[in-house]
Amino acid sequence: MRALSTTRVAALLVVAFVAPLLAQARKEYQPPAGPTPRTAKGKVDFSGVWEKPYVPDMTKDGRNQKGFPDLPFTPWGEHEWKTYDAAEGDYTGACLPFGMTRSMNTPEPMQFMQSDTYLAFLFEQNSWFTVVPIDGRKHGDGIPTWFGDSVGHWEGDTLVVDTVNFNGKTRLDTIGHPHSDQLHLVQKFSRPDLGHLRYEVIVDDPKTFTRPWSNVRTLTLRPDWEMMEYSCEENNKDLWEGRIKVPKYKP
Amino acid sequence: MRMKQVIIGVVFLAAVTVVQVTAHHSFAAEFDADKPVTLSGTVTRLEWANPHIWIYLDVKDEHAGIQHWQCEGGAPNTLTRNGWSRNSLKPSEAITIEGWMAKDGSKSCNMRAVKLPDGRVVFAGSTGGDNPTPKP
Repeated sequence: MRALSTTRVAALLVVAFVAPLLAQARKEYQPPAGPTPRTAKGKVDFSGVWEKPYVPDMTKDGRNQKGFPDLPFTPWGEHEWKTYDAAEGDYTGACLPFGMTRSMNTPEPMQFMQSDTYLAFLFEQNSWFTVVPIDGRKHGDGIPTWFGDSVGHWEGDTLVVDTVNFNGKTRLDTIGHPHSDQLHLVQKFSRPDLGHLRYEVIVDDPKTFTRPWSNVRTLTLRPDWEMMEYSCEENNKDLWEGRIKVPKYKP
Repeated sequence: MRMKQVIIGVVFLAAVTVVQVTAHHSFAAEFDADKPVTLSGTVTRLEWANPHIWIYLDVKDEHAGIQHWQCEGGAPNTLTRNGWSRNSLKPSEAITIEGWMAKDGSKSCNMRAVKLPDGRVVFAGSTGGDNPTPKP
């Protein structure tokens, strides 16, 4: 019998030892089981602290994340993507607001607090929040913002959050996929049981992409977690010591 | 001996891989994926504050001099949920850091893992999602 190469031995070790370790790590937490919670008025209640999959690259699949592998760039979008260099300016490193998609993409948890009128997105990342009316009202005509203008409505047991009026200064994900100020984001939330939240985000931006595309994720309820304070500015040595640059936005 | 190294490497990788990273900024904004670095030295200070912990390390160079390094790790919030605390590492402890050097040539690094003399791997969880995939 031919001796096993080091590479083969390493591969076998990965299968024999690492895969079970990873599987074990994933088995460590199971959310509580039970039916979908509802408000007094019968709407699905999304309240709770949720563990989100970390999605630094929305084209990639991951645990509890289905990505979109081949983004349908327009020529403008393709140019924005191919010329992006975070070393020339990283707005998140400068502690500027992440925006909606990058806040949803972070590995830090989030909390939803819900009333009949509002759903509050409380992001642990940088202690940011955005409060979304969910009573079916139309978009306002405010100034463009980092998180955009969000309104929600119910389609059966699915809450659909529609966001427009972005300022165009953010990136979709950590790796830097672009969007424009024409971004129209649709986020669909449902809660099939007590412990899980199904999340779909649809990216619709005709300046950057030739057609809409989406990610689908599962969030996990963490009643054992409390939200923690997160100051981005407290010890941001990367910025202070000049290793990260603030982007030069056009006025 | 070769086999032992492979096993240690694989287990070390597994310990690193299961820990979440933090996403405060892009890896590529600051660090060079083509400049991996391994630093063995003595801890002089630990800063346990968001958005990243920083470990300050004195490393002996080949001329018996001392180089003062600083290395960035994960967010304290994430590390706390992973079971670590500001007391998990103390000044004067001898450690080995594996990571990547900063692009600007300063003695700054991004940590992939910190290995204690007893073999435990602490504070793993480096910056961004565009950091390199660890290779065994």
